[in-house]
Amino acid sequence: MIQQSTQPIIHFQGIEKSFGGAKALSDVSLTVHRGTVHGLVGQNGAGKSTLIKLLAGLHRPDAGQVEIDGEAYDHLTPHLVESLGIHFIHQDRLLVPSFTVGEALFLGREPRIPGTPFLDRRQMQRRAQEVLQRYFGLSLPNSALISQLSTAEKQIVQITRALLDRPKILVFDEPTAALVKREADLLFTLIRRLRDEGITILYISHYLQEIEALCDVVTVLRNGRHVATKPIAETSAAEIAGLMVNRDIGDLFPIREKSPGAALLTVEGLSATGRYRNVGFTLYRGEVLGLTGLLGSGAKDVLRTLFGLETAEEGTVTVAEQAPWRASPVQAARRKLALVPEDRRRHGVALDLSVSENTTLASLPRFTRLGLVDRASEAAEADRLITRLQIKTAGREALLRTLSGGNQQKVAIAKWLSRHSDIYLLDEPTVGVDIAAKVEIYALIAELAEKGAGIIVLSSDLPELIGLTDRILIFFRGEIAREVVSDTITEDALLAEVTGSSEATRYVG
Amino acid sequence: MLVDTALLVPASARADTPSPQKTTVSQGLAGIALRGGALAVFVTVFVLFAFASPIFLTPFNLGNILAQSAISGVLAIGLTVVIIAGGGNVVSGGIDLSLAANMGLSAAVYAALSQAGQVDGVAVLAALGTGLAIGAVNALAVTWARIVPLLATLAVMNVVGGLELVLTQNTVIPAITPLLESLSGSGPFGIPALAYVLLGFALITAVVVQATPLGLRLYAVGEFPEAARASGLALKRFIAGSFLFSGLSGGIAGILSAAYLSGSTTGAGELLLPVVVTALLGQVFSRRLVPTITGTLLSALFVGVLINGFQLLNLSSTLVSGIQGLLILLVVSATTLLRPKEG
Repeated sequence: MIQQSTQPIIHFQGIEKSFGGAKALSDVSLTVHRGTVHGLVGQNGAGKSTLIKLLAGLHRPDAGQVEIDGEAYDHLTPHLVESLGIHFIHQDRLLVPSFTVGEALFLGREPRIPGTPFLDRRQMQRRAQEVLQRYFGLSLPNSALISQLSTAEKQIVQITRALLDRPKILVFDEPTAALVKREADLLFTLIRRLRDEGITILYISHYLQEIEALCDVVTVLRNGRHVATKPIAETSAAEIAGLMVNRDIGDLFPIREKSPGAALLTVEGLSATGRYRNVGFTLYRGEVLGLTGLLGSGAKDVLRTLFGLETAEEGTVTVAEQAPWRASPVQAARRKLALVPEDRRRHGVALDLSVSENTTLASLPRFTRLGLVDRASEAAEADRLITRLQIKTAGREALLRTLSGGNQQKVAIAKWLSRHSDIYLLDEPTVGVDIAAKVEIYALIAELAEKGAGIIVLSSDLPELIGLTDRILIFFRGEIAREVVSDTITEDALLAEVTGSSEATRYVG
Repeated sequence: MLVDTALLVPASARADTPSPQKTTVSQGLAGIALRGGALAVFVTVFVLFAFASPIFLTPFNLGNILAQSAISGVLAIGLTVVIIAGGGNVVSGGIDLSLAANMGLSAAVYAALSQAGQVDGVAVLAALGTGLAIGAVNALAVTWARIVPLLATLAVMNVVGGLELVLTQNTVIPAITPLLESLSGSGPFGIPALAYVLLGFALITAVVVQATPLGLRLYAVGEFPEAARASGLALKRFIAGSFLFSGLSGGIAGILSAAYLSGSTTGAGELLLPVVVTALLGQVFSRRLVPTITGTLLSALFVGVLINGFQLLNLSSTLVSGIQGLLILLVVSATTLLRPKEG
């Protein structure tokens, strides 16, 4: 049911947005029609969340305008957005844990006992029961606290909250990520009903089958650009996937002699209940090994275990010919392992220290004389690494806070370079990094490998894995489901392996 | 962000996520044990003191406990509102360390004006105004200058303590006024008037905090600011308002203290520890392990009994301070571990 004939309710016109030099959206124009379910898809970094934050009034566009209901705005504010009847169902459930369901539903517009300033708790409970029953067939005890609900129940409470405001436009950001099938089906039925009542739905999801089943129209974003908007009847999940995948990224990757040397890191029978089972592999000198998998597949846990941030219950990790050890970050660093974490702001760098201090932080003993830091040799090393990695900074004394995300990431890598590590564990090394910085990080990884280091790259960026690594270990539900040689697999095939879609089809029937 | 590759998996292929019921159930049980335990300790302490000291159960002494508790109780109720609106985080959450000093300065202002021949009305307004002004400074420091309450109110505490010294020259200012006389006397049933003030103040605050939308919003602002903001609440107004209220509590407590001690005396700062203990301890008396006014009232009486009993048994006041310090550690760790978390 496509209602292209109805009038537009949201119209983005020529939207531009950059963050610290990295372009998040360029010239995005997009129309959403009243009373439709409009899907928005794109890979990590495609610009979906930036676009949604613009609509929520949390970001201000650098250029372009947004028209809501025929009224043009050069930017929105959260307050304005609310008065326009636009509501957001966020991924994070914004509900107070110690509140009852009724309190959480009515916070900010509490019913009062008529003629008094007092809360009408009985009415809150009654109406909470009523709306949850009506929309979702869900019955929760009046005394239930938010903290006692399941993730799905919290999600339902959150959606119900938005519905109480009789919204004109509802934006769902990955609403099913925490729901099981039965709950997701209920949600879809509800969304269709809301659409038929005239509410416009903007639906963001990674799950293309959901998009196909639910949406009337789908828009694909890629690298901050609007790629296509199509009625769902005229496209397919496969075509959408094709539009999302970047086809011209191949030449970003350095050409590298792939000739692994001696075994450097051996992992045997690594298990941890609920996280991963019987994981074993070997990393060789000069090799770039890729790890990938869905959230919860165990890939990330294994990487963190190697550096000692998590502990395994069984199994051994051996570096070169040394004895196996019970891993801890101190032990790992002593064995010349280096970790560049994904959340660099929290774990990787100190934002309020200078570039120079950050680059030498992990290897201070090398720059220390008589217990004092030797500023001259520290500065020399920092300058060397700044040039080497082409870090864009006002100088080695600039605070790290002032650098762009990509350059902060380069500093995080530089920090471990100055230690001369043997094994590099890189967790999503290019997330939030612009293309130019990506290319330099790729070149750096290749060079480290050529010098004989072993590198493990955990990534969900499939072209990156294929272009950068020698082998890829695909994790699925806590186990290494397959090992593939990077040269021999296509992006589509890798995607199928990662999502376990051969198994998934059996599931779905 | 590994989930970003999950392009083609329908909801049906994903495993059911187990709900975190088990942990909340055991947390709930531990919470019940904590509350029951707290009440049992309260009763036990009461009975022990009754046996250990012949004076403890006399009407005069029980009245004395109520009167003593009135001052720290009013302060603790003010502090409770700040903790509700600022959140229970020990480092970044709501706290007002300037309350005891506030009480000292307000009492001194009241006593000095009375001694200078001002009528009760003027002196009362000046004392309450002093409290409110201190609250306003705290509110500005926290919401406008964005200093964490712990530091902001620590600084204000010292400024206020200094002002009190300047005003009183570190001496006792005696004050005897009609208001003070009636406050230090007995009310109906021979119970001290101060106790009625505490109960009245607690009742009004409890009704506002526990039965109006304002109270519900205060809890939301303190516990989960993002959720409160998403509900359209102006966070800073609630936080500033909580400091104004605690400042006013300081002013009221100042007048009560002037009545109890017949003037203003030095050493108001010694009340800080009992007040903080009282407000924190109050949390274990509530079902959801959150600060509540009724919980604070109960714990004010408990702390009052404790201090009084130790005095009767001639135990040193250092020991009392030590026990209060231990109570803070116990209560804060218990509630931090057991309180429902966002998940």
